[in-house]
Amino acid sequence: MSVAAPPTHAAARAVAATKIYGSGDTAVRALDAIDVTFEQGQFTAIMGPSGSGKSTLMHCMAGLDRVTEGQVLIGETDLSTLSERDLTLLRRDNVGFVFQAFNLVPTLTAIENIMLPMDLAGTAGDSDWVDEVVGATGLADRLKHRPSELSGGQQQRVAVARALAGKPQVIFADEPTGNVDLNTGAEILGFMRNAVDEMGQTIVMVTHDAVSASYADRVVFLVDGQIVDELADPTPERIRAHMNQLGA
Amino acid sequence: MLRLGIKSLLAHKVRFALTASTIVIGVAFVVASFVTADSLRSGFDQLAEDINTGTDYTVRGELPFGEITEATAPAVPAELVDDIAAVDGVEIAKGGLFVDGVIPVDGNGEAVTTFGPPVAGTNWLEDESLSQFYLMEGRWPVGGGEFAIDITTFEDDGYDFELGGTYQIVTPTGPREFTLTGAAQFGFPENAGVGAIFSLFDTATAQEVLGFPGEFTVISVRAEAGADIAELQTRIEAVLPDGVEVITAADSEEEFSDATETFIGPFQTILLVFAFIVLFVSMFIISNTFNIVLGQRVRELSLLRAVGATPQQVRRSVLTESAIIGIVASVAGLGLGMLGALGIKSLFNALGASLPEGSLPLTLRTVLWAVAVGVGFTVLASLVPAIKASRISPVAGLSEGTTSEERASLGWKRLVSGGVLLVVGLVLTGLGLFGDFDGATPQLSTLGAGAAITFVAVSVLSPLVARSVVSLLARPLQWIMPISGRLARANAARNPRRTSATAVALTIGLALVTMVSIVGQSLKVSFGDRLASAVNADFIVSVNTQAGLPKTLSSDIRAAGIGTPVGFDFDLVQIDSSGADVQATVVQSTLTAASVSDLDAVVDIGVTEGTLDGFDPQTGLLIHSNVAGDEGLALGDEVDLTFVSGDRRTVTVTAIFDGSAFWSNWIIDSALYEQVATTAFDDIVLVRSDIDDPEAARAAIDEVMTGYPQAVLEDRQEFQESVESSLNTVLVLVNVFLGFALLIALIGIVSTLTLSVFERIREIGLLRAVGMTRRQMRRMIRWEAAAVSLYGAVVGVVLGGAFGMATVAAIPDDIIDTVSIPAAQLVLFLVISVAFGLIAALFPAFRASRMNVLDAIADE
Ligand SMILES: Nc1ncnc2c1ncn2[C@@H]1O[C@H](COP(=O)(O)OP(=O)(O)O)[C@@H](O)[C@H]1O
Ligand SMILES: [Mg+2]
Repeated sequence: MSVAAPPTHAAARAVAATKIYGSGDTAVRALDAIDVTFEQGQFTAIMGPSGSGKSTLMHCMAGLDRVTEGQVLIGETDLSTLSERDLTLLRRDNVGFVFQAFNLVPTLTAIENIMLPMDLAGTAGDSDWVDEVVGATGLADRLKHRPSELSGGQQQRVAVARALAGKPQVIFADEPTGNVDLNTGAEILGFMRNAVDEMGQTIVMVTHDAVSASYADRVVFLVDGQIVDELADPTPERIRAHMNQLGA
Repeated sequence: MLRLGIKSLLAHKVRFALTASTIVIGVAFVVASFVTADSLRSGFDQLAEDINTGTDYTVRGELPFGEITEATAPAVPAELVDDIAAVDGVEIAKGGLFVDGVIPVDGNGEAVTTFGPPVAGTNWLEDESLSQFYLMEGRWPVGGGEFAIDITTFEDDGYDFELGGTYQIVTPTGPREFTLTGAAQFGFPENAGVGAIFSLFDTATAQEVLGFPGEFTVISVRAEAGADIAELQTRIEAVLPDGVEVITAADSEEEFSDATETFIGPFQTILLVFAFIVLFVSMFIISNTFNIVLGQRVRELSLLRAVGATPQQVRRSVLTESAIIGIVASVAGLGLGMLGALGIKSLFNALGASLPEGSLPLTLRTVLWAVAVGVGFTVLASLVPAIKASRISPVAGLSEGTTSEERASLGWKRLVSGGVLLVVGLVLTGLGLFGDFDGATPQLSTLGAGAAITFVAVSVLSPLVARSVVSLLARPLQWIMPISGRLARANAARNPRRTSATAVALTIGLALVTMVSIVGQSLKVSFGDRLASAVNADFIVSVNTQAGLPKTLSSDIRAAGIGTPVGFDFDLVQIDSSGADVQATVVQSTLTAASVSDLDAVVDIGVTEGTLDGFDPQTGLLIHSNVAGDEGLALGDEVDLTFVSGDRRTVTVTAIFDGSAFWSNWIIDSALYEQVATTAFDDIVLVRSDIDDPEAARAAIDEVMTGYPQAVLEDRQEFQESVESSLNTVLVLVNVFLGFALLIALIGIVSTLTLSVFERIREIGLLRAVGMTRRQMRRMIRWEAAAVSLYGAVVGVVLGGAFGMATVAAIPDDIIDTVSIPAAQLVLFLVISVAFGLIAALFPAFRASRMNVLDAIADE
């Protein structure tokens, strides 16, 4: 029998990840020794009160920021070993990110925004895949438009498509529906759900909203920088019940 | 509102420091101009006083017309000294000689030269306070074989002179050998010669070797103590013959300072013109900075309006802000300007023009100007942004979005106002170039106003085309650097108003540089063509000193059997053609004297009417067809010439020519001119060689020229090259000054780009988040700047090209008759502009690439 290889189906992992802002008396422990694994092909929602460290976790996992202690791995790559430049290249090639707002470069058209990471890498990408992603956005007729000519929901769909287009190992989305109305939010969430189900993508999303979180396969609850609870196959009702428990 | 203005300034320290620096440079320029000119004035005034100490009157030949600075006055008879000395009340009267172009040659065979001040021969007087020469070393020279030299040259390590040594001196009567007996200082206590070089002889020797036997060029007179200066002047006048005048020391001093003002004035004006160009360019930068900063402060300003600030209060707060910047910049500019003046002075001294010692006088006038232009230009520049700010509505801040700038209207209002300005600007420019003016000042003012208005018009119109032109110019970028290039191009084109405002500074600088280079190039080509077609001579002998070449040079060349030398002497003449025509006038012009019978050998003046055959040297006159037309002169017409000596001659038009090169419109024979000339120098000598081998010919002329170390021998090619190279020196100097305008443009790009980067912080964060490397980021910003610069440069080159060609067309054909466009140079300008953009972007690009990704994203 050979030595057991570590599970390779983790798209991203945090191991005792700790993030401390500031120092001394004013130090804030935004992440407190978090251990979490995001499996490939899973859609995970992160929930928690404001200031619980959700965004910090997203940023550290996506290579936008570095943890103070512990490890963050994308696939088998330990981010703490990467230089600033390699971290940038990792973001470009292996990670997708969707912000709450301002996801698109205003001077580029929708399709140019979608292709941005690949253009930055100077690669053509997988064109069948890109076609599939673009097709899934339902924006085929608006691709030549600039962000200012798209609605908020359309912009966020383009942003998700941009995150998907490079076939990253994992996509992080920090309140991607926080800035849009309910119907539009449902559109975007449907699109993400679809990307996981049909395209086999891995998505980690922060949200405040129980209905939004119910699109995910799993919900992770964060309080004061620590994971306090988890829920598989969530429904809005179950999520609310958990939240009430935690909020108390 | 004052407090608000100051608060806002403090909040935006860096960008305003950058903005203010452009005004600082402009003010410094103004201050340096005034201080340098004032320093020269006070230095020369002091000098005039020193020179005239101990002398109450100067008696000299009177110029029949013209200014003493333009021509050499005739000499006066030596006997006059005794007549004047005999006048009751005169203590002492002594005759002096002062002749420019007397060149000593040192022990190493090197001719002593200057960059302009005279190299003169003179006589020493026993009365040192009358002559102002004080013996410092050795003894005074006595007799025909001795001389003394001024102490500065004697002590100059660059020259080899020793007491007792024998040295050659090139005099108007030819080269001679003298023994050095002493060294004297001019003026007391300082050596006040302002860089002039003197060879001193005793009076009889001076008269002989300087070519004034029995004459003096000047008689210095001192009155007895307590004499009435005005009354004694009339009594001296009474003993003077016609054509001789007596002036008081006060008159001399005034005349001297008028004379020095003829170069200090233009010098000051030229510096001020450059100063105003710099300030004008700065205005665009400042206006742009205010626009951007106020655009970023829309929320703050609308909040102010919402809580009750009136539009007037908002406007006032902006204007207060700009006034404070103006004052701070003026003070800093004063300091920098003083340093600049110091720099200019040492630069001049390093170039060999020993300016009189003197402090750097900072007058009230200079300070007032500094503050006036510093505050004036800044406030003027902020006027439009201030009005715009006051129109911000109280609810503007509630509607979030891009800055107001990006939604700028580019409508027909802009087109109409820009169009009107452009027409006014071009009409004024055209008027300035082609119109009739009495005097250069109104003409240049019209031209300057026209150009300034045209530039403003261009800046108003530019946003209408900026987007498409920049996109077009920057298109190649995305082929070279797919994504950075595409983003750079898009960023450069995204805000046409800002792009235009940033580029316009470069446009102005480059338009001026382009114009100057087109005029310069056309001048060179016209000169070269003319030299090729009109000059047949094999060699040209010229000289760097003011005085010219002794006429003996051309006879020496002839005597050596080398070929046909023709000396050209240019001098002032008064021409009265009233005998020939009713409408004729009296004009003063430059006269050329040359041996007409030999003229054909060296030049082709292009005779169109009449002939040079059988030309009578005593009565013949050749005129250019232009003056024939202007004065209504035809072949056979008689013309009265009055020379600076006061002599008059009547001559007859025997030929009309239409060629023009270095000779003037009126030509007479040197045989006639010799009888009336006040100096014995040619300005240039052309030689047609009879020796076939050019090397042998050159060697033969060189042999003759050993006696004239100040002379420079060149063949046609070399002559053309050296004229071109002196023209190039002027062009380089002009471009160095215009370089300051480009420096301002550079600062403008840095400041706008820094602000733009700051404004686009979220976008930059986003790009970094999705994987743009720092390098790609820097490249994107650098090439954005390059694209904006290229746009400014292209507009500038086009505009400058048009100005240049119009200027060439306006310059008379006898100076420039060919338009030549230095294409390679213009392309170089464009390349340099791109480089400028790249350099200007270094700092903003660095800042952008170092921006923390999360901070950028978090920015609200
Ligand atoms: N750049 C920062 N500097 C200091 N403290 C920060 C910074 N970013 C976040 N924090 C703090 O870290 C904690 C977690 O913040 P965040 O991750 O933004 O929470 P969430 O996204 O869950 O609302 C909060 O207490 C917040 O104040
Ligand atoms: Mg958050």
